Amino acid sequence: MAYRPRKILKSREYNREWNEWALKGNWSPVGWRWIEGPTGYRLDQLSKGNYLIIQRPHGSLYHHSYGLLSKFFKGFIEKKLYGAKCPRCKAVFCPPRAHCWNPECKVQRTEWVELPMKGEVFTFSVMAFSATPFLKTLPFIITYIRVEGCCTTLPTRILQVNPWEVYPGLKVNLHFIDNPKGEIMDIYCTPAEKPDPSKFIMSKEEIERLKEDMKKVKNWVIRKFGSEAQPSIEI
Amino acid sequence: MARRVAVVGGGISRFDLPRYELQEEMCAEAIHEMLMDTPGIDYPRDVDAVIYSYFSDHLEEQLCFHWIIHDYLGLLPKPAYRVESGGATPVDAIINAFMFIKSGIFNNVLVVGFEKMSELDTPKVNEFIAAASDTDFDFPVGGYYSGYYAALEVRHMFLYGETVEDLASIAVKNHNNATFNPYSQWRSQHGTSYIGVDEVLDSRLIAWPYRLLNCAMISDGAACIMLTNEENAKKYTDAPVWITGVGLGTDTMRPGDRVDNPMYKGLYLKDESIYPDVATKPAAPYPEMANFGSIRVSGDAAYKMAGIDNPLKQLDLAELFNPYDGVELVEYEDLRFCKRGEGKNLVREGVTEWGGELPCQVSGAHTAAGHPVGATSIAQAVQIYWQLTGLTAKKWGTKARALSDAKRGLLQGHGGTGCQSGVIIFEGG
Repeated sequence: MAYRPRKILKSREYNREWNEWALKGNWSPVGWRWIEGPTGYRLDQLSKGNYLIIQRPHGSLYHHSYGLLSKFFKGFIEKKLYGAKCPRCKAVFCPPRAHCWNPECKVQRTEWVELPMKGEVFTFSVMAFSATPFLKTLPFIITYIRVEGCCTTLPTRILQVNPWEVYPGLKVNLHFIDNPKGEIMDIYCTPAEKPDPSKFIMSKEEIERLKEDMKKVKNWVIRKFGSEAQPSIEI
Repeated sequence: MARRVAVVGGGISRFDLPRYELQEEMCAEAIHEMLMDTPGIDYPRDVDAVIYSYFSDHLEEQLCFHWIIHDYLGLLPKPAYRVESGGATPVDAIINAFMFIKSGIFNNVLVVGFEKMSELDTPKVNEFIAAASDTDFDFPVGGYYSGYYAALEVRHMFLYGETVEDLASIAVKNHNNATFNPYSQWRSQHGTSYIGVDEVLDSRLIAWPYRLLNCAMISDGAACIMLTNEENAKKYTDAPVWITGVGLGTDTMRPGDRVDNPMYKGLYLKDESIYPDVATKPAAPYPEMANFGSIRVSGDAAYKMAGIDNPLKQLDLAELFNPYDGVELVEYEDLRFCKRGEGKNLVREGVTEWGGELPCQVSGAHTAAGHPVGATSIAQAVQIYWQLTGLTAKKWGTKARALSDAKRGLLQGHGGTGCQSGVIIFEGG
């Protein structure tokens, strides 16, 4: 058993059906196809080939420890944002690190400090495609936020803003979701000020193109996922 | 350290999605091509050791895949191991082989790279590639590499003002180059007609500012390259290509950690000073999130070893690691083809186009030739080798992208969001 603990202090136990799910598939083929396709190492030297393709699923369930950063993620469950402060060079890290990376500090252990729920956008992107777990929430905006007083930037999503209104330097407030799970997605940000159009980095033409893109992506997500679609950008 | 290291041959098994052949079969095709072109290599007797390059156990659904390949190719019981460092895997594999020979431990080292990415759907492939980002911080936010790189490019656009049209121009250059390359995925899927800026801007948005045609392809494919010491090189070929410089460098795992990085602070003062007033200057203004420090460090080290002080003048071609078009633009700066912030000028002046002063990505590279991760930089190295030995016209069946009299080429590769980078300088005899 992975991570069988000596003592559980507190928990939100997972549904044990996930154990069954993790055993599903077991690398056993669930289907096959006999197909025709090209063979050959160069495009001008191709011939016809036949191939057997099998479908082979296997699931897994990881029991992951957050190690010395556990307090940071436990903080999310309690709706508190912590940073790690180096007692030698005074740098404050968020994302935190349990040991300072400053060459002067010789891998000094850091200490926890509570951080303000505000900062500013360092950079961002408007996501119109994604990895499997996030497809349903397309389109969405990712930002790297410098939390006030910190020397690193935190990846988060920004909500309640049009994608063309986000720019480096935009002041933001951080918030926790209603039911935090102990992961980075428990925290998100919203603008703390009215976005200043003179600071937009997209041209007018590009903004119009982006509006069309957002519509297309939203329609694609709704077509693909129906009522389960949760687009994060409202135009 | 007087030993010289040569490239004496290389082969590519074409990049496409999907390739239905197995990984070991594609590798065999690449090696067969190499042996046909360099018949002096007594295979497998002349292979002293092999370095294998592939990126993802997840994508291959097989750990230790090189054990399968090694015995399939009849190379037992010779020494072999696998190198893995994300996108830097193949460039690191070549540098490993270089160091083997340089040290005198082995005389002839074969490098074999491959990747099969077609067995999962595109979002799942993106997920498994994104598992190379920090899975506690960056990955769950849903960025995946297109998002991380897009955010880095947005920062560079914000500071230095390149436009989506500039990025599209890079896409046009690389895709049109790839239409001549008979090993390329773009030519397989699209054919040989040219595209223009409008086609790029009309392609599907992936992560602003990147559209489909600005992004690396998901590909299957394989490539190999053979490195030898000086004495053997002259036995195998009249036209060896020498590796005269290599360099390695690193930067943070999480791109968001690059703003006040104490390890980079003060390293490149000139670049730190090229920083516009639009932003509050962070503690480490170079590379911060806009540029790639690992690429600078690796490039400078390779230039120093090769005695290059003006790369734009002294190089005849470059094959860069270009998963997204803004990366290529920024690399022009970090590899000192121009000053920081001037990458856009090189694009606008056509300096890196075919026929320009320093053609970049003549093969088409990641976004157009294809990007089977473990094979990509090896195939680019083979393309450089073909250019420097005058073989390109024969291999491609056309002179359209064959350089005449090219002397020196640069290969750059990196992994993650520039978390580690390698640069290799190749010189013809």
